[in-house]
Order: sequence, then C-alpha cells, then structure tokens
Amino acid sequence: MVAEYALRIIQGGLGNLAAYLAAHVLLCLLPAFFIAGAMTALIPKETVTRFLGRTTPKFISYPAAALAGSVLAVCSCTIVPLFAGIYKKGAGIGPAITFLFFAPAANILALVYTGGVIGVDLAFARLFLSLAFGIGVGLIMALIFRREDQVHDQSTDQMFAAQRARGMRRAALAFLLVWVALLLSGTLKISLLTDTYAQRTLPVPGVAEFQAGLDRIVPYDASKGEEGVSVQGVLLIFLLVLIGVASWKGFENIHEGFNRWTWFALGLIALTLAVASLGMKAAPEGLILSMPGKFIGVLLALTVLFWLGRSRLTEDELRDFLWESWRFVKQIFPLLVAGVFAVGVIRVFIRPEWIESLAGSNTILGNLAGVVFGVFMYFPTLVEVPIANMFLSLGMHRGPLLAYLMADPELSLQSILIVSTIIGRLKSWTYVAWVALFSTLAGLIYGAWVDGASLWLVGLYLAAFLAVLASILYLVNKRFSQKGVAQQTA
Amino acid sequence: MLTIKVLGSGCANCKRLEQIARKVVSDLAIEADVIKVTDFTDIMSYNVLTTPGLVINEKVVSSGRIPSPAEVTTWVVNALETA
Repeated sequence: MVAEYALRIIQGGLGNLAAYLAAHVLLCLLPAFFIAGAMTALIPKETVTRFLGRTTPKFISYPAAALAGSVLAVCSCTIVPLFAGIYKKGAGIGPAITFLFFAPAANILALVYTGGVIGVDLAFARLFLSLAFGIGVGLIMALIFRREDQVHDQSTDQMFAAQRARGMRRAALAFLLVWVALLLSGTLKISLLTDTYAQRTLPVPGVAEFQAGLDRIVPYDASKGEEGVSVQGVLLIFLLVLIGVASWKGFENIHEGFNRWTWFALGLIALTLAVASLGMKAAPEGLILSMPGKFIGVLLALTVLFWLGRSRLTEDELRDFLWESWRFVKQIFPLLVAGVFAVGVIRVFIRPEWIESLAGSNTILGNLAGVVFGVFMYFPTLVEVPIANMFLSLGMHRGPLLAYLMADPELSLQSILIVSTIIGRLKSWTYVAWVALFSTLAGLIYGAWVDGASLWLVGLYLAAFLAVLASILYLVNKRFSQKGVAQQTA
Repeated sequence: MLTIKVLGSGCANCKRLEQIARKVVSDLAIEADVIKVTDFTDIMSYNVLTTPGLVINEKVVSSGRIPSPAEVTTWVVNALETA
C-alpha cells in the first residue's frame, strides 16, 4: 500500500520532468538560454544606461529603465548594482523601481518559457501588463517618497552621461537576431512550420515495444494534458546529459581558450536542436521520422549562426557569449529540473476541488489568493512557470494565474531583502504593497478578457485606470513644486 | 607594489574574475594585493554600474564583463610600467 503510493509519487515527478524535457519545451528553452547569453555578452550596456542619468527627462528615463530591465538584467550580477546606481546617482527611485519590477517579469527566459509551456497569450499579458504597471509603480513610489528622493548623491552624473555611446556591432546584432529566428521557427505554430514535407520510416526493431514499456513506467492521461515519455524524449534526455558533460569540460574553463570539448558540446547542441525539431513516432514497422518546416528553419538558422560565429564575431565576443549562456544554464537548469520534479510530486497530493473553489473563477478573492501565494512562496527563477502550469491543469482561472505569475518573481523574499538594504525598509514594504495591488488588478483585467470582455473594454479599463493615476500624480506633483518654489522665494 | 581590486557582490562572474586576477599575478610572479570589494557603497564610489569590475591601482580598467587573462596581463604590465 505504502509502496504503491510512493511509486505513484515518483511516477508523478518523473512524468512531469519528462514532459518538460520534451521536444517543444527544449526548442524554446535551449535557444532562450543562448539569447539571454548573447544579450548579456554582446549588447553594450552603455546604449541603455546612458538614458538613466539624473538629467534625463521622465518620459525617456522610465521606458529606458524598463528596457534596461528586459535587455540587461537577466542575472542578479546586473540587477543589484544597476538598481543601486539608478537610485543613488541616476534618475532616482521611480525609474529604479520600474527597472526592478520589469526585470524579472519580462526577461527573455521567463517570457519564452511562459509562452512555450502555458501559452503565448499569457506571455504577452505578462509583458504588457508588467510594462504598464512597472512604470505605474515607479511613478507612485517617486511621488510618495518625493522629498527623500531629492537628497540625491551629489556626485557627478558622469557615471551615466559621459559614457561613450558605443553602438552594438552589426554582426553581433545579426547573431542575436538569428537566435531569435531560431527560437521562433522552433516554436511558432503556423502551418508553414508545422506541415510535414517529407517522411521516412527507419527500420528500428523493437521501437514499438520500447514505447509501450515507457508508457508502462510513466503512465499518462492525455485528457489531463499529460504528455508521457516518447522515444524522442528519451533520445533528447540522453543528448542533454551528454551536452551537460561536454559543456562542463568545454565551457567551464573557456577563459583559458577553446578546447576540443567546446566544439564537441556545440555540435551536440546543434544536433539536439535538430532532433527536437523532427517529428518521431514509434510504430510496429519501425521509427517514423517526419520532417516538418521547423526542422528546415532550425537547420537554416544553425548554419547561419555557425557562419556568423566563425567568420564575423571576434573570439572575445564568442567566448563571452558562450560563457554567459553556460552560466545561465548552470545557474538555472539544475534548479529547474529539481523544481519540475517536485511540482510533479506535489501534484499528486493537491485536489483539483481546492484550487477550483479558491481561484476557479476570476474574482477579487481568487486573484488575491494567487498574489498571496506568490508573495509567500519563493521559487527559483523559471520554476514559477511549471507551478503555474500545474495550477492551470488543476482548474485555476487564467486571471488569478497571471496575478500569481506577476507577483511571484517580483516579490521573492530575496529581492525584498536586497531592495531594503539599498532603499530602506519603509520604501521596500511600500513597494511590496503596490506590487501586490497591481498584480491583483492585472489578474482581474486579464481574467475579464479571457472571460470574453472585449479587448476595447479591457483597454478602456486599463487606460482609465492609468489616466486617473497619471492625473493624480500630475496634480500632486504640481502642488509640491509650487510649494517648493514658494519656500525658496520666502 | 600593485593593488588590484575586484568589485562585485559575490556572483559567479565576480569569483571567476578574482580567479583570473590571482592567476595573472602568480604567472607574472609580481607582488600585488588582490582585494575583493563587496560593499555596494564602495563599489558605487568607482562609478561602476555593472559588476564584475576590475580596478588596478585605483583605476577602473573593466566593468560588466570578464576580461580574458591576456587582457588582464596587459593591464597589469602597463600599470607596472607607469608605477
């Protein structure tokens, strides 16, 4: 009895893990890591940070802060110093908060993964609502702490302004864009990419029995959205393990130069991407391979990348790019694997009725529940996505789900602590309160849209809310500055 | 006598840069202090926005990336010549 229960738990974990290492997730996650690496290594940070100085007007500094959040800040190495810099010596607390809010919600890894696992609609909702509310929270914080904010560090503005405006090299930009193209061709669901153009049957004996065996080990229920493990999945997991070993030897000491393992690992990654984009099906007569459009797209992109990397990028750029990508993988992937396994285990225990009664529909209470869960639970980067997916399959409404997805990465205990060492406790808890409010609101608005409210109506709500906010800010701002002038003249 | 400072809160890249700095120092067989600076106020005082930063004799030579050992060697040798 106990053994049977334990077996069910482990099966739950394994099944979930296998589903997350399946082809379609790999095709989005693997390129996403490389895109994040390319962004960190190849985009000169000055192109964005020079708009974050004290003298920059508000309508430039807030969007620039959001942009900095999504482009530069995939890791805490950049987030904390940049946040402290903007706050103390640059544009002040408002843009600093916008930056802090937007960075975890809209970094490329989080967005791509959300899109790949849960759905593109939710990824876009996460992006746009985070942008609107990130700027909103920033403006509010700047207003509330108006007086303190004037006590800026009086050192020079040169940290931001005097930086040479060095543009991004064209080859580096092309390299980045081809990675994005690879990501899109692997994940977009348009007929050009999903149609099969050629099919072949490989006479591999015993494939069908192997698949049947896999289904016995990890049973699945397609009606619940479970995927089970395919022969292709096993092949991919095997390749991933190989990549792990080769990368460790090839990338870990890349600062001492490229070695044979480096090239071997890169070859393996290309092979894995190609295999993941193929269609495979086990049948009694052998393995049926089908070649969809995305396979051609992926191959094409890989070829261009190889050519760009060999002949257009400098060795330094290539090395920085590989190191940053590898660092992201090393930092995030093990936690993600462990997290996904844990989610699969937990799923066995949670009854759908609990979730459904709490957050099954788009109510204020449901959205609040999502936010509260997000604030008090801390999950490592990206693990919030499989967790959200679990909630979704257990019957959570998409509105509260978005509320949860927005609150969780913004408000981990870790980030609250870091923020409070820089801006103080009062400011950071005020920030937490506003984020909680805005996340709830974001969930409600998105939920209303999912429930069928027209896009215009939703847009109207959002615009009305932002207009009210803006006018209050404008009025208070005006009164304050008049007072300031009066005091100065008196 | 050189003073080499590695600016950074202790993230992976900062540790890697410290390793490289120490290796360069021992390869060149010179006398140098390699100091880690982790306090944010101190880091900010160098006007560095992105870590890891490398400071040789109070001059910021790089920030926001990991320079290669060859680059660090050049900077160290230059600093030795001007000192």
